[in-house]
Amino acid sequence: MSVISATDAVKIYESGDKTLRALDGVSVDVNAGEFASVVGPSGSGKSTLLNLLGLLDEPSEGSVTVDGTALSTLSKRERTDLRRETVGFIFQSFYLVPTLTARQNVAVPGLVRDDRSDLQARADELLERVGLGDRLDHYPNELSGGQKQRVAVARSLINDPDILLADEPTGNLDQDTGAQVLDVFGEITDEGVAILTVTHDEQVTDFADRTIRLVDGRLDDD
Amino acid sequence: MIDSPLARFSPFLAFARNNLSRARARTILAMAGITIGVVAIASLGMFGATLEQSFLDTSDDAIRTVAVGPGEDSEFGLLHREQVAEIERYAGNGDVYTLTRGRGEVTGLQETTSASLVSLSDPEVFVTAESGQIPQNWRSGVAIGNELAETLGVQPGDSVQVDGESRRVVAVLAESSRASFVSTGDAVVLPPGEFGDGASQVLIRGETPQQAFAISDRIDENLNSDRRTRYSVFDAESALEQFNQQIGLIRTFLLAVGGISLLVASVSILNVMLMSTIERKEEIGVLRAVGYHRLDIVKLMLYEAALLGVVGSIFGVLISVGLGMVMNAQLLSDPLAFSGQALQYTVLGFLFGTGASFLSGLYPAWKAANARPVEALRD
Repeated sequence: MSVISATDAVKIYESGDKTLRALDGVSVDVNAGEFASVVGPSGSGKSTLLNLLGLLDEPSEGSVTVDGTALSTLSKRERTDLRRETVGFIFQSFYLVPTLTARQNVAVPGLVRDDRSDLQARADELLERVGLGDRLDHYPNELSGGQKQRVAVARSLINDPDILLADEPTGNLDQDTGAQVLDVFGEITDEGVAILTVTHDEQVTDFADRTIRLVDGRLDDD
Repeated sequence: MIDSPLARFSPFLAFARNNLSRARARTILAMAGITIGVVAIASLGMFGATLEQSFLDTSDDAIRTVAVGPGEDSEFGLLHREQVAEIERYAGNGDVYTLTRGRGEVTGLQETTSASLVSLSDPEVFVTAESGQIPQNWRSGVAIGNELAETLGVQPGDSVQVDGESRRVVAVLAESSRASFVSTGDAVVLPPGEFGDGASQVLIRGETPQQAFAISDRIDENLNSDRRTRYSVFDAESALEQFNQQIGLIRTFLLAVGGISLLVASVSILNVMLMSTIERKEEIGVLRAVGYHRLDIVKLMLYEAALLGVVGSIFGVLISVGLGMVMNAQLLSDPLAFSGQALQYTVLGFLFGTGASFLSGLYPAWKAANARPVEALRD
């Protein structure tokens, strides 16, 4: 079952009199519980694809569909709500708030929800799941890179998303801690959450169920 | 932040507070700006109000007093029983006193000098003894103004010669207030009815300045005609008006000075908030990505600005009240003598302080909320 799909997606950036076709007709389906990686040289449109699938940006042509709903039919506000319910984000440089503890960082995306009664318990549970049950009240500067990324993973799961989008999640980590993060990813996909990651890291592509190759804004099918 | 009482009340407020704690020095300096602005507005305003209060306090008796004397066209030189009765008729429930003035030679222990002689129907209403005592049913002796007593070198109990007649000094009088109708610094005050064969002036004291002004209008209307000014009637209405005008001017000026310093403070808040949105660009991008609406970002930033304003203003108000107490102690000789008006200025300062910093937060908040998450997150 496809969680998010892009159909014939084209993204054109215009700056001054130059136009750049960052994506040139790409169709991608991401299925529940699947771990897909996106690879390609820089400038091939990887991040653009990630932004489209993450509902952060709209395609210039083609469509993005979430659970059967076409993105183009939604207002900005509805898109933000849908993004909160459907997508979790993980970044190369973690982007944790330095003055918040691990538990608080995980809870941040939940602060805009109306029902916050179980927020803290849920944050604790997620940290437990990524193996940081003993680091709940640690601040980011008291955590290693791998631990920070695992806090970020827990944060991305707080709103029960259907898909996690990860932009170079192991880019700032060494081999061993990268492997730890991948183990966590494995557990998450086992529970039915899809993960799509942009990466240059062979360790990640080896781990992935499927690898999508992009060259010059097109799928490289071979 | 998710489990504190503050967070249960408003998680965004707790989040905003936490964000402010990240650049502590900057936050404190921005608050200090607001504090200074609030202190400027509140304490300068209070200063104006206290100044006015102090003037009204010291000259309160004079403002409530109407002085009536023989006019240009009067057929009498002094006010006799007949005229006093005529005036009394229109004095309503004001208290009526008579005052007789003259000049005379006074000789003390050291020297002889010319001094004004004053006789009042009720001396205790107009003068207070600094040393010695003015007896009830005062019949003999004199009271002497403090300046004159110093010149003459006399104390209560000593004798002076007034126009060649030897008199015992019963009291030395305290300095009379600035705007008093009866200035006694260099005067000799004689017992009631002691000299002259009529009063130089009738003094009428109302309960309030307004009552006094009404009495003076009534006397002027009834006893004087358009052509004949039989009585000169003097009250403090025009002086009071002039004073009010001046104090209004001073107050406007002080408020303007305070307003400018608050303007400077809000520019610094604007600067701080802008810097903070630029520094936290990625973080705000993340918040947008994980489902914060633009309004949520605006709310978060405005909470930060408002917190700066509220905390800065609270300190400002506290400092202003402290300064106000010093001013009150100096000018009104009671540190807690805050007038309603003075307290209004602290409220005004507080509102301006929080308002200004809230307004300064609007643009940075709008800017942060409208940064596209995609661009904010681009490495």
